[in-house]
Amino acid sequence: MPLARSQMMAVSDPFADASDEDLLLAFAGGDPRAAEVLTLRLLPRILAQAIRMLANKTEAEDVAQDAMLRLWRMAPDWRQGEAQVTTWLYRVVANLCTDRLRKRRHVALDLVAEPLDSAPSVAAQIQTRARLRALSDALAQLPERQAQAVALRHLEGLSNPQIAAIMDISVTSVESLTARGKRALAAIMAGRKAELGYDDDEPT
Amino acid sequence: MTMTNPPDDMLDDLFATARAVTLPPDDALIARVLADAARPLPPRHVKEPLLVQLRAMIGGWPAFGSLAAATVAGVWIGIAPPPVVEDYALSLLGDTVNIGLFSDDFLTETGEPTDG
Repeated sequence: MPLARSQMMAVSDPFADASDEDLLLAFAGGDPRAAEVLTLRLLPRILAQAIRMLANKTEAEDVAQDAMLRLWRMAPDWRQGEAQVTTWLYRVVANLCTDRLRKRRHVALDLVAEPLDSAPSVAAQIQTRARLRALSDALAQLPERQAQAVALRHLEGLSNPQIAAIMDISVTSVESLTARGKRALAAIMAGRKAELGYDDDEPT
Repeated sequence: MTMTNPPDDMLDDLFATARAVTLPPDDALIARVLADAARPLPPRHVKEPLLVQLRAMIGGWPAFGSLAAATVAGVWIGIAPPPVVEDYALSLLGDTVNIGLFSDDFLTETGEPTDG
């Protein structure tokens, strides 16, 4: 376990039972420990959301930092009880990711070598990386709202009512967006099936 | 394309692969985030009261003082002009001239107003 994190956790946590909102308000009130606890709680999830959509470590880290920065800046204006901090962050990260994907549409593919945990072999790792990047690039070709709805539904595994709250639309709109988005993704990905190894057996 | 592996199966597999991806934040990223949190908030663009805006516009409190002094002096000179001002004004204007808006000349030149 890295040093900084273990050091942070070694301090007895006075915020153990505090909600994210309580912590945010404590941070806005000038308590720096609240920022540490919030970071440890929220950063892993938003980084995971970003890496799933972007399939690029550097970009995902930048998005995660940017999302947390927006949280810090917004803290003094947070209106209690109006929304959940996690809902707000899902929305911010989804927006930041589709911003990045939009810029990617006109840029050549850059398959940066990134470590992936617990992959069985180098060949499988390479293929997994190529597949995730292909999925991310396909998301980049969708209209942004469709890409966000599909990612929240199928990459984050959220329910339609949760997605509706995050995107501030009706559940019916979520269903429509995810259905159209998934159809569009299937059409885009169909052309890359062989290239991504879906016609053959999985590499060992 | 084989029927045993339609695009939807591929998509579902891709989604599952993506869902399994985790990337624990490393210490460098945590440090970046906490450094942002420790930075003071940027100044907020709150609309300032009118007096504060006016003060900034004319150049602070000293300018306000001069402006007030000049205003008071002007009012005072209007009420009770010192002799030197009175003499100077008279030398510029000369004799008093009266201009009537509805002078007799005006009426006679255009003829008597008649009722339509």
